[in-house]
Amino acid sequence: MRTKLREWTNHSFTTLSSMTILLMAAALLLFLLPMFSKGLTAVFFGGTVEFRKMQAELFKRGNPETLQREMDSTQQARAEIFALLERFSRGIDTAQLESDAKTLFRQYGDELRFRNVPTEKFIELRQEARRVRDRLIEAYENTDKDEVLPILEEITNLGSSPQFVGTSMETLIAMAGDYRAAIRGVDLTRRPEYAAALEAVKEQLRWLFGPLPGESIPALAMYRFGATRRDMMEKHIRYLIWQERWIEQEPGKPLVKTLVRRDDPETGVFAGTELVPLFALVEENADAMLNPRFTFYWQYFIDDSTPGHYFGGVGPEILGTLLLTLLAILFAVPPGIISAAYLVEYAGDNVVIKVIRTCINTLAGVPSIVYGLFGLAFFVTVVGHPSILTASMTLALLILPVVIRASEEAIRSVPQTYREASLALGSGKFRTFTSVTLPAAGPGILTGIILSLSRAAGETAPILFAGAVALGPIPDFTGKWWLQPSRALSYGCYDITVGDKLAMMVPHNQFGMVMTLILLVLTLNITAIVIRSHMSRKLRGS
Amino acid sequence: MTNSQTIQLDPTGAAARFTRPLRLSAAEDLRGYIGSHLGRAFLFMTTFLSVVAVLLIFAFVVYEALPFFFKGSWADAFARVKEFLTANNWYPQREHDPYYGALAIITGSLYVTVCSLLLAVPIGVLAAVFLSDIAPFQLRQICKPLIEILAAIPSVAYGVFAVMVVAPWMQRRLGFNTGANALNASLILAVMALPTIISVAEDALSAIGRKTREASYALGATRAETIVKVVIPAAHSGIVAAVILGMMRAIGETMVVWMASGNASRIPSPWWDLSQSIRTMTATIAGELGEVPKGSDHYYVLFAIGILLLAFTFTLNLFSEYFMAKVKRQARGG
Repeated sequence: MRTKLREWTNHSFTTLSSMTILLMAAALLLFLLPMFSKGLTAVFFGGTVEFRKMQAELFKRGNPETLQREMDSTQQARAEIFALLERFSRGIDTAQLESDAKTLFRQYGDELRFRNVPTEKFIELRQEARRVRDRLIEAYENTDKDEVLPILEEITNLGSSPQFVGTSMETLIAMAGDYRAAIRGVDLTRRPEYAAALEAVKEQLRWLFGPLPGESIPALAMYRFGATRRDMMEKHIRYLIWQERWIEQEPGKPLVKTLVRRDDPETGVFAGTELVPLFALVEENADAMLNPRFTFYWQYFIDDSTPGHYFGGVGPEILGTLLLTLLAILFAVPPGIISAAYLVEYAGDNVVIKVIRTCINTLAGVPSIVYGLFGLAFFVTVVGHPSILTASMTLALLILPVVIRASEEAIRSVPQTYREASLALGSGKFRTFTSVTLPAAGPGILTGIILSLSRAAGETAPILFAGAVALGPIPDFTGKWWLQPSRALSYGCYDITVGDKLAMMVPHNQFGMVMTLILLVLTLNITAIVIRSHMSRKLRGS
Repeated sequence: MTNSQTIQLDPTGAAARFTRPLRLSAAEDLRGYIGSHLGRAFLFMTTFLSVVAVLLIFAFVVYEALPFFFKGSWADAFARVKEFLTANNWYPQREHDPYYGALAIITGSLYVTVCSLLLAVPIGVLAAVFLSDIAPFQLRQICKPLIEILAAIPSVAYGVFAVMVVAPWMQRRLGFNTGANALNASLILAVMALPTIISVAEDALSAIGRKTREASYALGATRAETIVKVVIPAAHSGIVAAVILGMMRAIGETMVVWMASGNASRIPSPWWDLSQSIRTMTATIAGELGEVPKGSDHYYVLFAIGILLLAFTFTLNLFSEYFMAKVKRQARGG
């Protein structure tokens, strides 16, 4: 019995400890899967015609002729939508109509003057026209259909009167007819409600197709184009068609928040209006109107981005990270290797060396944010302002202990026989080190350098105050680029997820940048692992 | 066969052109002597750079923090230190009479550190045991890179994961008010501290050697008994060092806690409620230093927090060195 229990304990201990490794593998998978699955959508996605338009306009890419053809065909598909919208808004947007009527009336006055009509006649005609205009405006402002329709009737009847034929007034009178047609299915008392709902619809259409016809081109790039990707397109079509409303399900019960279609014949906002066919049209013809097709956007890794990373890629961030890390390596590697060589080849075991070793360990243990503090208090003060130079020097300090430890281990692992062979051949200690020990330790040192490169690329806290910026120009290589601040992947990752409100609208770009950073770091690490396994195989002698 | 061949010296070869005398002249000898000592001095100076760096870091952080404490009399300075360390209200942005009580921030740091270690230490030690005693060689070759990759993932990427994946999940599934809370930060910190703990603990366990294990097996102990009652007690100093190093990693971590802990400067109450937001020392520095004018009290107090962080990590580092030295002695002796 007791043996059984011991055996069982033993087995469960084994299982438990193997579970921990599985747990870690699961954690790694749980982390990498969403990062990569969502991050890759920044590079692989269904790009719409708006995407190609954006690429052509912002990055001068693609064939202008084929793009023009595509734009024409999609524009044709969209035309019906815009026509429906135009017709409906004519019945709703009375402020616009009123101003149109006033403009037409003024034009009429100008026309009369141009025709040199005698003064009395001019005043008479103008007065009549003004009466018509006022009646029309009255009709626009009235919400009682029973009163509006007779007025409109009266105005349209005037259309045949000879004095108005061929003038702007004819258009004005035609507007009355249009309005009558437009309000046929509209409950005029609900006009404010329609106006608000229409604005929401227009908003979604703008997200889908870019600025609507007749609207001016917005200054911000993100408003200049519609849905550039299939997922954005589907999202905005969903927002266009479905609406959250408080609906009374049963009489007497509290209202329930439900998703209803805007064109639903019973509960929809636009039930019974002329706008109803628009929703089904957008839903069915979305592909024809936006023409999404599979896109491999490899330029994501070289493109600059618009504010908030709404469009574009992570090119400047990658460049900045490379500059920072390579400079940091440049600063850290020579002293690192020299320190390691001294510690292995020359240093004895006295107090000074112990102090040095303790300091290296302390340096490795100093929290990264304290490096940031130091960088700000020392490097930035010395150089004068945050820049690539200060940031990379801070990073260099951070990776110095990593380089020293890795190089020390590599130099220590060179077999003693190598050194003895070289010494026996008559070369001095220095010559032995440079021509025998160092080359033999080379791959190990290289591994250490690669690992510290990846460490430097991933660190954010030290460069927060020492030269990393979230938004900024690409360093100008014709000038002193090392004295300018730069964007960096690591800080960009922070900013794009927590700092930037605009970026919240484009989760694919948020994950895309993080994926780029992880990809960079993982590639470096896997390279290091491969070099090391090669080396250990060589050392084992097979 | 090659031996029987007569070796013919090439009369025009390198050996023939080597005309220097085999003995060095006195001047050359002296030059070489001085040169080698100068070289040694140069190497030493370069190595000493690390010491200089540590001194500079300490000096500058302390130097920038001093103006916060020493402005008036000594009594005043003492009162400020006392407020900083024991008061609980952190309102450095207030226009009149700002408060600089960092107690909640310090406890916040310790809180997430302890929570993450409670998670990471058992898992880490078990994983180290698995790698050193249980896993076959092939499996170990697969597991090691896995742990390395876990260690290599940048902290900001873990932070993004915490904000974008874990936080919404916590709000949806666990019904927390906010996804940015102590539990979220602790979980991620535990994952980040694991690789350190595993690799150091595994080294310590491996250093115990076969003899001890075999002696235990020979007495009839099972593997579990051997590990729990013999190997782990024997390797305890290495495991303690592993825990300390994991603690250093967790307490010094910035990006994850900044992004995932919610940054609310208060002590959780009740104290076990992990779903509340807290704030750590590192996150306070990271979040506020960018916005304060240089030379203000607020700027200096952030460096004072930096001193605290440095003090924590320096002490922990000394402890870990002490235990690591014990491990080394053990390895040499056993």
